[in-house]
Amino acid sequence: MRILRHFVFLSLGLLFLLGAAAKPSRPMVIAVSTEPSTLDGQAVIDRNSRVASGNIFESLLDRGANGQVITWLAESYKPVNDTTWRFRLRKNVKFHNGEPFNAEAAAFSVNRIVDKEYKTQRASYIENIKGAKAVDEYTIDVTTDGANAVLPVQMTQLVMVPPKAAREKNFGVSPIGTGPYKFVRWDRGREVTLAANETYWREKPAVKEFAVRIIPDPQTQIAALQAGEIDLVLDLLPEQSKLAPKFISMPATEFSYIQFNAHKKELADPRVRVALNLAVDKETLAKTIYQGHARPMDAQHLAKGMLGYNPNLKPYPYDPKRARQLLKEAGYPEGFELVLHAPIGRYLKGEETSEFVAAQLKEVGVRVKLQLHEWNAYRQLGRIPGKEPNAFDLKYGWNSNEWFDASRIVSHITCDGTSSKLCNKKVDELMDKAIGTLDQKTREKLYQEVWAILNKEPHAIYLLQQNLIYGLAKRLQWQPRLDDEVRVAAMRTSE
Amino acid sequence: MNHFSLFAFALARLRDGLIVLFLVTLVIFVLGHVIGDPAVIMAPVDASERDIARLRHQLGLDRSFREQFVSYFGSLVRGDFGQSLWQDRPASTVVLEALPATVLLTFVGLVIAGLGGSVLGVLAGARPESVLDRSANFLSVAALSVPNFWFALVLIVIFSVHLAILPTSGFANWQSLILPAGALGVTHGARIFQLTRSATFEEMTKPYVLVARSKGLPQRLILWKHILRNIAVTIATTIGWEYVRMMGGVAFAIEVVFAWPGIGQLMIQAASRQDFPVLQAAVIVAGAFVIVTNALIDLLYRYLDTRIHAA
Repeated sequence: MRILRHFVFLSLGLLFLLGAAAKPSRPMVIAVSTEPSTLDGQAVIDRNSRVASGNIFESLLDRGANGQVITWLAESYKPVNDTTWRFRLRKNVKFHNGEPFNAEAAAFSVNRIVDKEYKTQRASYIENIKGAKAVDEYTIDVTTDGANAVLPVQMTQLVMVPPKAAREKNFGVSPIGTGPYKFVRWDRGREVTLAANETYWREKPAVKEFAVRIIPDPQTQIAALQAGEIDLVLDLLPEQSKLAPKFISMPATEFSYIQFNAHKKELADPRVRVALNLAVDKETLAKTIYQGHARPMDAQHLAKGMLGYNPNLKPYPYDPKRARQLLKEAGYPEGFELVLHAPIGRYLKGEETSEFVAAQLKEVGVRVKLQLHEWNAYRQLGRIPGKEPNAFDLKYGWNSNEWFDASRIVSHITCDGTSSKLCNKKVDELMDKAIGTLDQKTREKLYQEVWAILNKEPHAIYLLQQNLIYGLAKRLQWQPRLDDEVRVAAMRTSE
Repeated sequence: MNHFSLFAFALARLRDGLIVLFLVTLVIFVLGHVIGDPAVIMAPVDASERDIARLRHQLGLDRSFREQFVSYFGSLVRGDFGQSLWQDRPASTVVLEALPATVLLTFVGLVIAGLGGSVLGVLAGARPESVLDRSANFLSVAALSVPNFWFALVLIVIFSVHLAILPTSGFANWQSLILPAGALGVTHGARIFQLTRSATFEEMTKPYVLVARSKGLPQRLILWKHILRNIAVTIATTIGWEYVRMMGGVAFAIEVVFAWPGIGQLMIQAASRQDFPVLQAAVIVAGAFVIVTNALIDLLYRYLDTRIHAA
């Protein structure tokens, strides 16, 4: 027994020593919940992949602090005619492998991603882009299918790749870009390691090395943050925020809503759709379920500063009395029944929000039955095409507007939109006209008009602009971006 | 039992195992088609009907069910589990890369469970109602009652956040193995402890133990030589079953909590990415593992138990 006791004390002591020894300053670590599928910056769109690839690759254009489009690897750009945009490139930029960044590389990059055989997941980012060709060593022309007003937006995400290396089959596992960080190593199932690019064309990054570590469980992520093993957690739950050494709650480009099937008899009447908007107390929803990490959106899937935002619109007030009156006027004094569909485990607090809304609609007489679906079944609901009155009645979802641009909503509100259950000829006309208008001021006006129409004839119950909550280690100094890109070059550590 | 019959027995077990494995692939294949149209699942959110139809044709989903299964099974036999949709590499490569981490974790977990559970079980069973018996019994019941992922999180909070002596998660060095293997060891060791304890207790009352006692044999010798030998079959069977249970999900939950890069973590990620080929390959590999383990246990069982020899 005595030997056993000695053994226990000895091993405990050893463990403490190990713990103490394992504390020297370690490189920066960012946790993500899923492993990237590839590090080829042109192939994928999901955020967990972008945390690594977004620091390796750069585009001709980028976004500034307020989300505005700014020049990056291009020095300037302008439309030459309705279907051609000219970009003048920055000189003296090199890829990590030494290949020069020039018109040939830029044109190659555009043509690579638009090639149908390449099968990028960033399909919407290349829509209506035909291709590019070099004009001289540092100038390219990008051509579009018809006038395409959002080309600059698309170019903020179209990353530049080196022609020689990108033709190799292993580009996705040994990516090469022009960015502030170089790929070092990918330990499958564990982490991706990157190191500062010492020949970077801009200011050299302060953080010399960082790893993107895969930690699937959110509870483990926060524990690792508390234990000082990692520096940044991307998506904290509202109730976790106070456990983090530091947290930043950032309004995101995510808008939650409940879509109407406006082809269904009861919902075809705009008065009913307005009534349902009035029946939901968005303030309380944001304060309780999201603990303040969200705010009611201004009755449009846009926030201030995004192109097409209509400053005259405010959230519908919470007015159940007026809602009941509108329903009566529409001929439903006794209310009616609807089914609300929502996915399981997809959106933060999506199930709770759906229950909240269902309860509130019952208050004004609309008896809502909530149906929860596994994600794939839910997605198929949205695919029932065209003017189908028997498709879903109500559908909860989030719309992500990482374009900062009203054109992003087109598939949800136009007659033939793939996710649309609304048909209004005037809306279609305006949306059509806007995408072909290269003058941004005129375009803005057109979208504002669309939202004014949709305020009288809403396509959805407009709920919340959601926040993203970042958990930070004490030593990390960083301001998250509006576009939720994680740029390590902008990070500092206090040590 | 002579060598020939042992060999014949092993062959029969192999045949049974293959049949079970075949049924596993059939069930997986059927499930994959019941859950939903794979083409719709794989297509991007904004894909049109035409895109989906094209994908359906590319994947061969427009062929008859039987044709699809025959070609699917044919590829499996050739070792072709298809291409991972998420990683664009062969699904078998993706799964085999993750396998060693799972084997390491479950093996160490099983050693902890087996040694700890059986040693404590024998000691407790030999001295019923002693302090050791009461406390070990209490702890094992507690360990069996709480959900394993919750227990794992408690370990993390205690040892990593508060005491700060072990890493919370990952696969960086041997210290990273301690918590996940410990969590597995305790969860599974608890059941091994319970069974060993009652087997020992029962054995203690048998006449041969009384005889040994009356002959003046020391307790230590009685316990570790005679009793242990007689309950070895029970322990071996329990350990085998615990391994099956581990591979049947517990280890996977533990892997996810501890960010351990094994098959469990892989499967969760593959599921969230709709990567059916990887899921299928992982289930078949895990299934094969369980079947092989089962067969080995049966062989061991025959080897250990003299009564089965005679039969």
